[in-house]
Amino acid sequence: MGKYYMGIDVGSVSTNIVLMDENNDVHYKRYLRTQGKPIEILKEGIEEIEKEFGSVDILGVGVTGSGRYLANIIVGADIVKNEITAHAVAGLNSIPEVKTIIEIGGQDSKIILIRDRIVVDFAMNTVCAAGTGSFLDRQAIRLGVDISDFGNLALQSKNSVRIAGRCAVFAESDMIHKQQLGHNQSDIARGLCDALVRNYLNNVGKGKEVLSPILFQGGVAANIGIKKAFKEALGKEIYVPDNYDVMGAIGVAILAKEEVKIKGKTNFKGTSLYKMDYQVKGFECDGCSNVCEVIEIKEEGKVLARYGDKCGKWSNAINNRDFKLA
Amino acid sequence: MKNKVGIPRGMFYYDYYLLWKEFFNNLDVEVVPSPKTNKDILNKGVHTCVDEACLPVKVFHGHVDYLKDKVNYIFIPKFISIYPKEYCCPKHLGLPDMVRHSIEGLPEIIDPEINLRKSDKTLKKAVLNTGKYFTKSSKKIYRAFNEAYNQFFKDVDLMSRGVVPINAVGLYDDLSFNIKEGNETFKRKILFLGHSYNIYDDYINMNIVSKLKKRKTKVITAEMVDEESIRYYASKLPKRMFWTHGQRIVGAAYALIERRSIDGIIYVSAFGCGLDSVLMDLVERKAKENKIPFTLLTIDEQTGEAGINTRIEAFLDMLEWRDNNEDNFSTYG
Repeated sequence: MGKYYMGIDVGSVSTNIVLMDENNDVHYKRYLRTQGKPIEILKEGIEEIEKEFGSVDILGVGVTGSGRYLANIIVGADIVKNEITAHAVAGLNSIPEVKTIIEIGGQDSKIILIRDRIVVDFAMNTVCAAGTGSFLDRQAIRLGVDISDFGNLALQSKNSVRIAGRCAVFAESDMIHKQQLGHNQSDIARGLCDALVRNYLNNVGKGKEVLSPILFQGGVAANIGIKKAFKEALGKEIYVPDNYDVMGAIGVAILAKEEVKIKGKTNFKGTSLYKMDYQVKGFECDGCSNVCEVIEIKEEGKVLARYGDKCGKWSNAINNRDFKLA
Repeated sequence: MKNKVGIPRGMFYYDYYLLWKEFFNNLDVEVVPSPKTNKDILNKGVHTCVDEACLPVKVFHGHVDYLKDKVNYIFIPKFISIYPKEYCCPKHLGLPDMVRHSIEGLPEIIDPEINLRKSDKTLKKAVLNTGKYFTKSSKKIYRAFNEAYNQFFKDVDLMSRGVVPINAVGLYDDLSFNIKEGNETFKRKILFLGHSYNIYDDYINMNIVSKLKKRKTKVITAEMVDEESIRYYASKLPKRMFWTHGQRIVGAAYALIERRSIDGIIYVSAFGCGLDSVLMDLVERKAKENKIPFTLLTIDEQTGEAGINTRIEAFLDMLEWRDNNEDNFSTYG
């Protein structure tokens, strides 16, 4: 029976689960689309693990991603970490001397600068999601191209078409205009890759010193068109790690390992949790003019957590863990 | 019936409320401030205000809307300049007019023009124009103002010793800014920078201060740095900063960076703020030169806190990481 550490990254677009051994080797990875149903997808992922491995010994669990608090409630994690720290840890594990990590996910993009194995600076995109995976997803649909073929299509291009990348809405109208002028699909696909990279470097990467070695991770790293565009724009080699799509989960599994070493035991509820029934109810509190949107999560009819209230009237009423979140 | 003057809790409220309140009270006028920003106020503001304005201006509209049926007058001074040869943000210049044309069914708006760019004589006129709504005696008006002004400066003095004036008189129930040395242990100090109406409105900035305090962080704001230091450090800029609030933000940041008395800077900016686009960059460059970590949080109408939480957590993690490797001075990117 294998002994593993589990890392879970509940992101806006994908939910990733990895099982990692003592030597940080990944034995199992699963990339699932979140589809706005994080709890169900999470249960599905855990169920698959049980089916594939039979009974496994999970030594520790870490959760990250924008749905990390929710995932923590469901699985019982040993550590809850933000995506930046998790990605930095995983990047350092993959290339110890890494200096720059470019991470592009579904709703956000980040740059993490590492010097001498320490995060010294980072930046994330601001309120807008232009220059992230969703931007490409959307334009691929417009072009009628499957997102997994997008990179190859861009590589076929001999001549890039300039497309405005500052805003997804402007990009779309610009792209349609260029299509009407008769540019072929591959040139437009390459133009979109260039636009995303340009926007990333001007917005997220503004004023940051991008030094080699550069790691490119996150779901968008699957797109070889983007990788090439980065290479051309920076004039430097770009490395995409083997497990580029689950780096957040790997990072947080490593952190869970360290945490459990200190703590001595895990909080994990066991793989059988997928059999549990979870109910989520949202309601508006009418206690004051803030009208907070409160979320209540029940496990087998018992209230596990409540959050979303500003004053703590609901979340403090159960008082089992610190679950204040958005 | 006693006259009631409504003061919207937005924009310059956080800088001057104490002065205004004392002044009106001295004239025997009841002051009604709007409550802390809440969802209702935000929604009303977004609904009534022109859509291109920044978040604090929208919120201000919401506060005016809240007050409009509850008072006889609403006080919205037209701030043009509060310092010789300097200006306020253009949004302040047009604030009363913007409000007047966006919200229906308003009571009378008292909008004296405050323009101290050339001389402070116009202040007298503004005071008189405000007071004449309630009394004919100009003597009474001036006396009311002078008393309020003296009191206000006592509060401002407290401020530079680490107390925000709204706290100083116990009007503000949230004491999260009120820091007393010694009674709590802090791991590190962070400068929480930005315009006062973004920093002190804990609804629109999603209560960043209490998030920081939970992680044992001491929060410092620009208002806690004394005026003299602010002016001195801001004067080091190659070109004179002609926004008074820019002076405060940049001057305070430069002072604390050069004295190395902070561990990091968190800048909160409302989406689309023209002033901040310049100020933020000036501060970021200076921070970088001196290897002080800097991060920018952009706020708009979003109420999901996940984005803000992630950035704050990552920022604090980074500071911790750097602390643990103190002898390790790396080239800052």
